[in-house]
Amino acid sequence: MTSANKPVRAARYGMTIDVDRCNGCGACMVACAVENNVPPAHEGATDRKGLTWIRVYKVDNGAEYPDRRTAFVPVMCQHCGNETPCVHVCPQQAVDIDPATGVVGEMPQRCLGCRYCMAACPYHARYFNWWDPAWPAGMEKSLNPGVSSRMRGVVEKCNFCHGRWHAAKEAAAAAGKPATEPVDYTPACVEACPAGAIHFGDLNDPASVVAKEAAETASFRLLEKLNTQPKIYYRSRKDWVRQIAAAPRPGAEKEKYRG
Amino acid sequence: MFAGGSAVGVLFTPAPWRLITDTALWSENWPGIPAPPRGEIRARFTNCSLCTAGCAVRARCVGDQPVELAGVAGHPLSRGVLCPFGIVGHHLPFLPARLQSGPVPQAAAAVADGIAKCGPAEFVATLDLRPGRTASWTYRRAMKAIPNGRYLAPSAYTQAAVDLSKARTVLSFGVPVLDGWGTPGNVIAARAGFRLIQVEAVESRTASMADRWLRVRPGSGDALAQALAGRIPHSAAADATGLTIPEIDALANELEQSGPVLVLGSSQLASTGGTVVARRDTPVPDEWNQSAPVTELASLPDRSIRVLLIDESMPGGYLSWNTIAHKLVADNPVVVTFASSREGYARHANYALPVAVYPEVAADIPTAIDSVAAAFRISAPLVAPPPGTVSPEAFVAAAARLAIGDTLRERADAIHKSARGTLFTPADGKSQAVKNVTADDFWKALNAGGCWIDQPAAKATAARLTFAALAQQPVEEAELPLAIVLARELAPGLPLLSKVYQESNLRLAPGRVALHPACGLEDGSRAVFETLLGKCAAGVTLDPGIPPGIVLVSASPALLDLSGDGARAKVVRA
Repeated sequence: MTSANKPVRAARYGMTIDVDRCNGCGACMVACAVENNVPPAHEGATDRKGLTWIRVYKVDNGAEYPDRRTAFVPVMCQHCGNETPCVHVCPQQAVDIDPATGVVGEMPQRCLGCRYCMAACPYHARYFNWWDPAWPAGMEKSLNPGVSSRMRGVVEKCNFCHGRWHAAKEAAAAAGKPATEPVDYTPACVEACPAGAIHFGDLNDPASVVAKEAAETASFRLLEKLNTQPKIYYRSRKDWVRQIAAAPRPGAEKEKYRG
Repeated sequence: MFAGGSAVGVLFTPAPWRLITDTALWSENWPGIPAPPRGEIRARFTNCSLCTAGCAVRARCVGDQPVELAGVAGHPLSRGVLCPFGIVGHHLPFLPARLQSGPVPQAAAAVADGIAKCGPAEFVATLDLRPGRTASWTYRRAMKAIPNGRYLAPSAYTQAAVDLSKARTVLSFGVPVLDGWGTPGNVIAARAGFRLIQVEAVESRTASMADRWLRVRPGSGDALAQALAGRIPHSAAADATGLTIPEIDALANELEQSGPVLVLGSSQLASTGGTVVARRDTPVPDEWNQSAPVTELASLPDRSIRVLLIDESMPGGYLSWNTIAHKLVADNPVVVTFASSREGYARHANYALPVAVYPEVAADIPTAIDSVAAAFRISAPLVAPPPGTVSPEAFVAAAARLAIGDTLRERADAIHKSARGTLFTPADGKSQAVKNVTADDFWKALNAGGCWIDQPAAKATAARLTFAALAQQPVEEAELPLAIVLARELAPGLPLLSKVYQESNLRLAPGRVALHPACGLEDGSRAVFETLLGKCAAGVTLDPGIPPGIVLVSASPALLDLSGDGARAKVVRA
């Protein structure tokens, strides 16, 4: 049997995020934008109309000082593994799940901008291009050549740094590794996190850090009652943080700190 | 009939629907989408010069253009970490507000004329907002060469260093310990070893992540420190801070039992257990030691500076313009600033000269406060600076008729000659003793992102940190009802930082103030921010997390000129 017709060993890429270690610096948000050529904010952008494939929400336990406690929760596409809502509602087949990786992918070239997927996503993790992407003069030179930028009128979201995955596949192929095997790579947010709060890997590999951390008792997922089987696992020793995970959207709804 | 029937029939096949599905594929080449650059992809190494942490950087470049910056894993100082500002540092050359040109010959002539006219009780001064660099030594030498020359640096400049690895408790008076202070990678690495107690008026990022946050009244931190030092009764500190006496008693007991204690942000209370040590300075050529000493701006008489050269080319401390303006002579002072934008002192200077920015310019980075051994890193340029930029070092040296060569190389040679310490090279992640490296190889390694780290002193000498005390002007609370708290946020302006302050609620945007919702203003409105020093328009953010009676001010130069921590203000509808 050649490698070409060997059965593919499906990976299930996922993340674990230690909420207790996240200090809300925003490095993951910025690194994600650099990696994926997400444009800077349009003048009229707010926290509702901006493009942030990963967004750090500041949440608190609702108590007054001195009992007030705060935590930071990074939220990106949860890459649902069961009844993925955005896949079901897309009339254009612009969203799919890669069976080889478990990554929920978005094809902006197919997207017609109906935003059904945004309405369906229970995690508010999909973003719409309200404006033409624009960078300050000359800054186009610093765009990542591994990722194409998207046009106005389409939805986009986290894809676990598909460009990096593709580069890792190419490197593995060049090194003579079988194409049927999953590859190791690191998404930009994981690499950028100064606190080492985010880990990434194959949840199907029981030896991986993420598989072990996902199995810990302190581990939880957002809106677990929906049974969408997200591949992002959060960890916290704080009960109140775990309770917030059951809420529809962490953090305040208001556009508090917009410029 | 046949054609019509065929057309209807085709509609029942997948072909037309498939074409419609992929219609958007045709817009893939829409001309509005910028095309990323193409070219050879390679990694280059440098050091970030945006703050004194000087984190090591691995730049992914397409051709010569950096497209992505990341930390260098295994680096002994920065430990693979970059802050959000550092991650987008390669976008600095593209700032829309960048200063593109300036009247260089006119500025040089005005400075020469000012030096010639300088009276016996007047001064020619260079204000260096990032002291400790090689350029700083040039300024000191230049000021020595000029009669009545003075080298000015912020008062916080010190050779004292903190040793976080020795601290078991860190008592911070408003210092953003977990939000960019020191070397972020080093702080995170040491975090598990100490308990952090944050004394602060509002819940900053550090306060929210601290083991304990003590909410005090703005500007009352020193009263608490004095009480803990036994200089005033706990009851007096309770009155000043708003804490209870049992809370202060408990804190005093905790500090006594959980040493060594590192105290940050207040000079009223000493650190214990060798957590603050005197650090040897980075070697310099012998002849450089004959240079002007560091002078504090406050020590100069009012109306005494005839010529002032301000180097704000590297982000550093900021002294309010009001403080500086009092020191300038009344009749036609000459103020030249070297800046990358008009947002800082360029608003007030006679001449604003454009400078190269990171990562366009070779510059060394002074050692960070949390490094117990001296370090020497060069921010090696990754791209060429645009035409028209000025080297502040060369300009000041020329004004003083001081002949300088390649000062960075001279200093590197002096370090190599000392044969002290080790050299870390990021490409292979290895360290080796400097004495085993030739001078040329040492210089090459430094220009390829290498880092020299001094060997620890045989015996660490205890030292004391100094912190600038802000002079508060007495003012009636009824007149200016709000106490000012400065938000030490990321430097503004970089386009992609909009992700954290405009497209999310994570940080307070530059040029904005935050107040409690009961202040009577509307969220998102514009308002006039007024202190004893003047007025400025600002955007208003309402945040229930801000205690009533406090205004949280985003630290932009325009607002900093009017305020400091603990000062008072009022914010009224625009």
